[in-house]
Formats: sequence, C-alpha cells, structure tokens
Amino acid sequence: MRPGVAVLAGLLLAGGMAPASAEDIPKPDAPKVRAAKFAKIPYWDGMWIGEHLSTNIGGISKEFLEARDKGEAPARNIMSLTGFGAPWNEEGKKRQAERMKVGGNRKAMGWGFPGMMSSNAPLLFLFTPEEVLIINAYRDVRHIYTDGRKHPGADDLWPTVWGDSIGHWEGDTLVIDTVAVKNPNIYFHGGPPLSDDAHYVERLRKVGPDRIEGTVTITDPATLTQPWVVDVAYKRADGFERMISIDFDNDRTGNEDGVNTIEPPKDEK
Amino acid sequence: MRLFLAAAGAFALSLCVAGAHAHHSMAMFDQTKKVTVTGTVRQFEWTNPHCYIQLTVKGANGATEEWSMEMGAPMYLYAEGWRPSTVKPGSQINVTINPLRNGGKGGVVLTVTGMDGKQLGKKA
Repeated sequence: MRPGVAVLAGLLLAGGMAPASAEDIPKPDAPKVRAAKFAKIPYWDGMWIGEHLSTNIGGISKEFLEARDKGEAPARNIMSLTGFGAPWNEEGKKRQAERMKVGGNRKAMGWGFPGMMSSNAPLLFLFTPEEVLIINAYRDVRHIYTDGRKHPGADDLWPTVWGDSIGHWEGDTLVIDTVAVKNPNIYFHGGPPLSDDAHYVERLRKVGPDRIEGTVTITDPATLTQPWVVDVAYKRADGFERMISIDFDNDRTGNEDGVNTIEPPKDEK
Repeated sequence: MRLFLAAAGAFALSLCVAGAHAHHSMAMFDQTKKVTVTGTVRQFEWTNPHCYIQLTVKGANGATEEWSMEMGAPMYLYAEGWRPSTVKPGSQINVTINPLRNGGKGGVVLTVTGMDGKQLGKKA
C-alpha cells in the first residue's frame, strides 16, 4: 500500500468510517474471461440522434420548420423527455407552472439527464463488459456500470445532473437503472422538473442496422401520479463521422429587461 | 407583461415541438417573422455555444450597420456540411432569420445563400 493511501485508510478507520464500499465492486475478470465477455456484447457503432431531431444550421428541428412553413402544427412532441404531457400530480403541475414563468429566458451549458436522451445533440454508445458510456457532443457523459455492482449506499450517494447508473444486458437489450438525478430542470430549462428521488429505467435495443428503440420509465411519487413511460428512438446521425466537441468560450446570450438577447461580439465590447 | 407572456408562450412552443438549443430557448426570437438580410461578412465565429455571422449591412440612410446572426452550435453546422472556412470575411451573402423580439439587429439563422442563390455548406 502506498504511504498516502495507508494514511488515508488509517484516518478513515480512526474516525470510525469504513472506506467507500470497494469490496462491493466486482474484481476484474482474467483477460481471457474478459475477452470472452467482450465478444458477446453488442456494438452500436457510429453516432445516433433522436429520430425527429435533425436540425438546420440554426440548431432548429427540420421537422418543426417544415411544418411551420406549411402553416401546420408539428405532428408530435419531438423532445419527449422535456416533461410536457407527463402525468404530473399537484406538486408536478406547480413545478411545471413555475418553469413556464422563467424558462424562456434561462440558459444552460448542456442537456443533462434525462434531456440528453431526447435531444438534437448526437449520442455515442460505448460498451465494455464492465461499463457502458453514453456521451453527447455537449460532453454530457453517463457512466453506467454493468459489472454487477449495486447503486452506492445512501451515505455514498447524492443527487447529480447525470445521476448514478447501473445496467445489465437482457439478450441484446440494454437495461439501465438510474437514481440520484438532481431535479433535471435546475441544470437545463428543458428538463422535466422531477424530484431528486425519481427512479429511471431505460430499455434500449438496436432493432435494425440504423435504428435503436426503447422506453424510459420514470417513477417519482413526489411529482407524478403514475409511472411516466416515454418511447425513444434513435437513427444514425447524418453528417457526423466523429464527435464534434468545442469548449464554451463565446457565450453571447445576454439578458435585457428580463428577456434574452444577443450581445455584441468580443471585439466590439 | 405582454412581451413576457409572449416569450413564455414561445418557450412552451419551442420546448414542446421545436427541438431547439440546449443553451437557451427560442423564445427570444420572433418565430412568426422571417427577414432576409444581405450584407458583407465581417466575421464568422465557429464557437460554442453558438456560431455567429457578423454581417455588415447598408441601412436605409446609407450608413452601415452590423447584424449578429446566431446559428446553432458548431456540431449542427458540421452535420450540414459547414466548416470554419465556409463563410469567408469580405464575402457577400444573404441570411434569412427569425429576428430578435426586442428589435435588435440580429436573429436566429434559417438559411444562408451566396449571391448565386446557392445554399452554403458542402451538403447543399
């Protein structure tokens, strides 16, 4: 044991605290066993996007723009995880009303969870025997442990934007169980205003060469009258042969008299 | 107050159906209006959370004014075949936008064409 680790362990034990439950985390497999497991895992190559969410150069849904140009109402709610249409209870309705008051002039640095799973930012799914990574172009990253571990105990768990996820494979269906997600509307104005105690179960399956389908079932007695089941589907993200990630160094969205506007470029300030 | 309610309504619309940016809602733009502005590119910002074209435009009285044309994040432009070199300073272009609600000189971009009428970007 390295000296620093020994000191830390000593301090934890002296303080009556057990170290984080490392003993609950399965040991790595021997290379041959791991290779055999790896060979059985599906591979969802490429990048994926919600089936109705391809955008124009303004970042606006093409389906929405086509409907608008024809003078028609859009055929569907294409960002299904925003929360409109969820079975909200009184507390949920109250939260929805509050977001409507202020949401038009907020801004965010990403989608967070669950928003990133029905957004127009493309997704990358990466599978190993021990972990699934889901990453989008806003650098929202989900770590989904598939090594058999459980969620951390209450003392080791706190709400975050992306929550704590564990998963497993049922045949070629990826099942993800997520808890400890901070009210998604705090991070992202388009996030549903669920409570920190909401429980999310996703079932995702690649049903063809160019299509992934699934459901997200959200249970949250604090804000919902019943489980909220959302269908999701992803198609290949045209035009992306690699992930396009750039740091946020040019936020020109300002706010005048409570309404968002565009600020001048840096060289004119 | 009326402006505020209009913005809230547009916010609901943009969230329910539009599939807009993660960065902010579309409520700041008047989605019932389309304006086409022709001018000379002063600057093209290939940046997050948005790309911008700074366009120098001749105003009604002959004086020049600058418009800020907001686009999506670079990833959305990339998917449509745009690259940082797609819009060059000094070139003349037509930009169609939904204008800012507050009357400012800017808006969210719907299309960009060259003076030959062709859309910019490799995919066009």
